[in-house]
Amino acid sequence: MSDKYVPDQILGHSDEADGIEEYDNALPAWWLGLFAFTVVFGVLYTVDYHFISHRSQVKEYTAELEAAPKPAAVVAGSASGPEAIEAGKAIFGANCVGCHGADLHGGVGPDLTDHTWIHGGRLPDIEKTITTGVPEKGMITWGPILGPQKIAQVAAYVHEAGGGE
Amino acid sequence: MESPPLLLRPDYDNVIVKRFIIATLLWGIVGMLVGVIIALQLAYWPANLGLPWTSFGRLRPLHTNAVIFAFTGNALFSGIYYSMQRLLKVRMWSDKLSAVHFWGWQAIIVSAAVTLPLGYTEGKEYAELIWPIDLAIAVVWLAFAANFFGTIAIRKVKHLYVAIWFYMSMVITITVLHVVNNLALPATLTRSYPIYAGMTDALVQWWYGHNAVGFLLTTPILGLMYYFLPKAANKPVYSYRLSIIHFWALVFLYIWAGPHHLLYSALPDWAQTVGMVFSLALLAPSWGGMLNGLLTLRGAWGQLREDPILKFFVSGITFYGMSTFEGPMMSIRSVNALSHYTDWTIAHVHSGALGWVGMSVFGMLYYMAPRVWERPLHSVSLATTHFWLASTGIVLYIVAMWTAGVTQGLMWRALDESGLLQYPNFVDTVKVLNPFYWIRFTGGTLYLVGVCVCAWNLYKTARSPAAPAVTENPEATAVVGA
Repeated sequence: MSDKYVPDQILGHSDEADGIEEYDNALPAWWLGLFAFTVVFGVLYTVDYHFISHRSQVKEYTAELEAAPKPAAVVAGSASGPEAIEAGKAIFGANCVGCHGADLHGGVGPDLTDHTWIHGGRLPDIEKTITTGVPEKGMITWGPILGPQKIAQVAAYVHEAGGGE
Repeated sequence: MESPPLLLRPDYDNVIVKRFIIATLLWGIVGMLVGVIIALQLAYWPANLGLPWTSFGRLRPLHTNAVIFAFTGNALFSGIYYSMQRLLKVRMWSDKLSAVHFWGWQAIIVSAAVTLPLGYTEGKEYAELIWPIDLAIAVVWLAFAANFFGTIAIRKVKHLYVAIWFYMSMVITITVLHVVNNLALPATLTRSYPIYAGMTDALVQWWYGHNAVGFLLTTPILGLMYYFLPKAANKPVYSYRLSIIHFWALVFLYIWAGPHHLLYSALPDWAQTVGMVFSLALLAPSWGGMLNGLLTLRGAWGQLREDPILKFFVSGITFYGMSTFEGPMMSIRSVNALSHYTDWTIAHVHSGALGWVGMSVFGMLYYMAPRVWERPLHSVSLATTHFWLASTGIVLYIVAMWTAGVTQGLMWRALDESGLLQYPNFVDTVKVLNPFYWIRFTGGTLYLVGVCVCAWNLYKTARSPAAPAVTENPEATAVVGA
């Protein structure tokens, strides 16, 4: 190993490699540096994550939830009147027509105008059905998606346009 | 050992190489056609045809299995059978085992092409095939392994060239991965239950999934690069010691990186950390292969203008460098939180598959075909056309999926001022992504057209009148028995 390093020296194995010659050039310094950096970073990151900062995905989730803006507290059924029904119509158009039809006559989901209310036809019943959904029949739980305000509005629209009790 | 050198045409088995080349092209076209069909289905849903057998959920595993095990698998075998006989100066140990390997592998592919559309699956990604086919794979793979190590045992050289080391890592590791991940209790002929439960099953699955990428789509292709690139460029390999060091670093680190597929899941935090830090440390060892490839071409860049083979290899190596940079970045927790489950992953895997694997395979096919059929390549300009079709196709594909992936990730996490999801309906994201799905479909189609051009070019090469224009390297192969 005391020999001075000379680049581009043929190793002389080509008779054993189908004629392919090989140099034995030094590893590029930046490449070795990159390798060392990633290994050292990996060790430091692990020590910090688990033993110094004691981080975890559960803590990350909790912190994110706390930092997130809180949905405004809305009392169920607080939306009424023509503006609420108008707003509910738009929400219905964006989210509900796929299953219940633009004219509320149903399709994949039940007809909302036939005066047969499977889960109750009073305004609070309709709000409850929308909020919890009917997952076993394919209607998703809209509560966390729409939030109480929009659910109150769309329920007001369905109650009005569908002829609720 | 002391017998005088004989000036003979070496008795290498080129028939097996030709068979695997034909199978590569045939299954390549089938696998990529299915890919183009499912890309169309994502852009235009009626292309599902409303039939269970042609629905996305059944055709997608057919596409992945076909391009990984049928296209890449057959390509690897063609290159390995070609190069190892020449590197070890000996015919394959057993022609019978070669035949069992070839026909067995094709039978497995056909059975996969039948069972997957029928809906028979184990539900593990890249390991969907049902247990009787898994058993057949193990048997055929071991036949190949026996032939592989048998040939090494009877070799006529002492030193094992680095390519053989890379091939060996594939033969050994894929055996272990396939067997361990597919351990299951059969219930009926078509159904079985994995011996692992829950999170353990997921961890074993992604240990398998990640290393199938590592030891089927990375290390053997690197081995093939170490043979075909210096042969095609007629240049010495840049650094022997770099090849040894990046080989051992790569195979040691790769096997730990699987948990990065399960970041932010029920997997314990410490195991997620293992997956992330080992993935980051994989960057330099991966780039070692890229460096050795590109630096081998010092002083040979002028040849790129004329030679489609080198064009394909340089492009393949460049995509390798790109996707092995992207992979470690995507394994960082905070990046993964955005990229996971989005089309970004699809972009990443296709820069590896279409770019690195595909381009390297085509470079290799254009090198081998004239030599095993002993005829000059039918058309260099068609090969160049193939190169540009493939390159354009990849760029369209990857850029579309990157954009789609980042858009998708940002839309999923966007909240409105009241803290609710800004895009609560999944279909909102689908509508935005649709134009990118059309661009992806166009890119994939261009790539497929390129492969058809390649198949036509090689068919015309094989069928042209005999005129031995391309000879084997005389110094290395004229003398046998030395």
